[in-house]
Amino acid sequence: MVKSFLLAFPMMVLTFVMLSGGRMSDDPKKMVAFAITFLFVNILFFLMIRTGKTDKYRSILFISYAVCFVISFITHLIELRGSMAISGANMVEGLTPFCHIVIPMTLIPAALTKTIIFPGTIIGGFASIASMFVLWIGASLALGRGFCSWACFFGGLDDGFSRIFKKPLIKNINLKWTYLPYAVLFVVVVTAALTLSPTYCEWLCPYKTVTEFVEVTSVKILMQTIIFVSLFIALVIVLPLLTKRRTQCGLFCPFGAFQSFTNKVNAFEVRIDQEKCVKCKRCLQVCPTFSVDEGSINEGKMRITCTKCGKCVDACPKKAIFFHVKCTPLNSTLDRYRVFFLYPAFLFLTTMAGNNIQDAIVKTIRLLTTGSMF
Amino acid sequence: MQAFILGISNGAICVAYCSPILIPYLVGEGGNIQRNFMLIGQFLSGRFVGYLVFAVLAWGINKSIIHAGGQRELFIGFAYVILSLFLVAYGFFHIRPSCSAGFLKGSLQKAIHMHPAFLPAFMGFATGLSFCPPFLLAVTGAIEKGSLLGSMYFFFAFFLGTSLFFIPIPFIGVLRRFSVLPIIGKMATGIIGIYYFYSGVIMLIGAVKW
Ligand code: SF4
Ligand code: SF4
Repeated sequence: MVKSFLLAFPMMVLTFVMLSGGRMSDDPKKMVAFAITFLFVNILFFLMIRTGKTDKYRSILFISYAVCFVISFITHLIELRGSMAISGANMVEGLTPFCHIVIPMTLIPAALTKTIIFPGTIIGGFASIASMFVLWIGASLALGRGFCSWACFFGGLDDGFSRIFKKPLIKNINLKWTYLPYAVLFVVVVTAALTLSPTYCEWLCPYKTVTEFVEVTSVKILMQTIIFVSLFIALVIVLPLLTKRRTQCGLFCPFGAFQSFTNKVNAFEVRIDQEKCVKCKRCLQVCPTFSVDEGSINEGKMRITCTKCGKCVDACPKKAIFFHVKCTPLNSTLDRYRVFFLYPAFLFLTTMAGNNIQDAIVKTIRLLTTGSMF
Repeated sequence: MQAFILGISNGAICVAYCSPILIPYLVGEGGNIQRNFMLIGQFLSGRFVGYLVFAVLAWGINKSIIHAGGQRELFIGFAYVILSLFLVAYGFFHIRPSCSAGFLKGSLQKAIHMHPAFLPAFMGFATGLSFCPPFLLAVTGAIEKGSLLGSMYFFFAFFLGTSLFFIPIPFIGVLRRFSVLPIIGKMATGIIGIYYFYSGVIMLIGAVKW
């Protein structure tokens, strides 16, 4: 107990600083929101340390983050422009918030034409391009593809739906479909470079359904709207419910595919202790992003797509799966590696989630006390 | 841009289906990278010549359609829809179009000894003219262009797209994990097929194509 408290204490200090932003508000609603958020995240972190379970508590924060992000984002848009739909004029003014999923599409055009092919603001403002790039570089170095389970503001949606049913209704999914995100990545990077426009955002991104979308003013935009809403229903709601997997993240998202390569340069990985493993394949069944296959079990290494969510670590009946720091001895009994990983990962998640959770709490208090969120 | 993207999907299909026939002959086991590059160069030039022939043909067809006063939009839209469905099927399911260089297989061994220099170029020509959906879609796209120069430009961009996939072939000995690339390439082809299906439908219902 004392050891767990001592290990969790530095996180309390760090989250206090990150959540308060260095100054306390004197608005009582904001103070309440701060206190609730601070307690919420630190109880979860303490439990992670105390129980040795990672995904069990991570998922609570990760899903809350996604839900609060959607609430905070939509209300922000409605406050700002009166609608979730963005007009052509707003786009020209650069009022579109930048999202990390666009990053792979911007790299080639940025190198060739020195422009960012996205109608957002470069610096300052809400979700500017520069701030998102800095966040992404930091998260990639610290977490690799762990970004998809510890930083992405959308990932918690399919993660959440995938946990609703107790058992999957669809079990056998051909692993060839796990290459689809690379194909989507390839197509959107090439088409974005050729058309100098973020083609994934225009045509495919399912998350526009719960954030913002272009006003329907033509047949083309109508078709685009039908496509992204259908993808949202299929990949973020229905398939996660039926398969108990994060199908948008594991079978479609081009950013996830791109981010997988950063696992190569990241210090943390998830490994299987071959001596303890009894090949029961529990890890293969629970991994939400299809990152464990027969080869992983035989070689003791997860696939490149592993998001370091810790679900397999929690689920393994023989405690054979463990977080590991590359270039150090393989030892599944040491919890130290997990704590080394949890510090940057949890801090990242709290920093990203904190503002959204506080904002959603403030707006909910306003709704309850005044009948309006604004 | 359309032609380049179609070229990419054609390249993906070619590499996925034709490579089992071509690679053993073109690259051969243990051939050095420089020699492989030369062979691929000859192979691609053969392809390029083949495409130029088709550019002229496409232009000719365009003139005939317009002169015959036919329903150009309807013809091209219909071709897009049908061919794109094949593209989607090839991209996502286990359907194997045959490689048009397949007929060379038997006589290849003999020929390789008789005319070693021309063979890769001839193979390039033959595989380039494979009647698989991306190629036929490219012919349809080039027909749409109208002018000879436009049609040639279209096939040139198509050629660049297909060539992308042949660049890694000389490194095949080096690239051990090549097996997933055709899977990804095929799926990319399927996605491009979906786009063409959309374009075809829009054309058929008479809306403006972007
Ligand atoms: S769940 Fe644990 S014991 Fe079972 S196959 Fe996976 S690593 Fe081995
Ligand atoms: S392999 Fe384990 S840690 Fe990695 S994504 Fe799958 S369940 Fe999460």
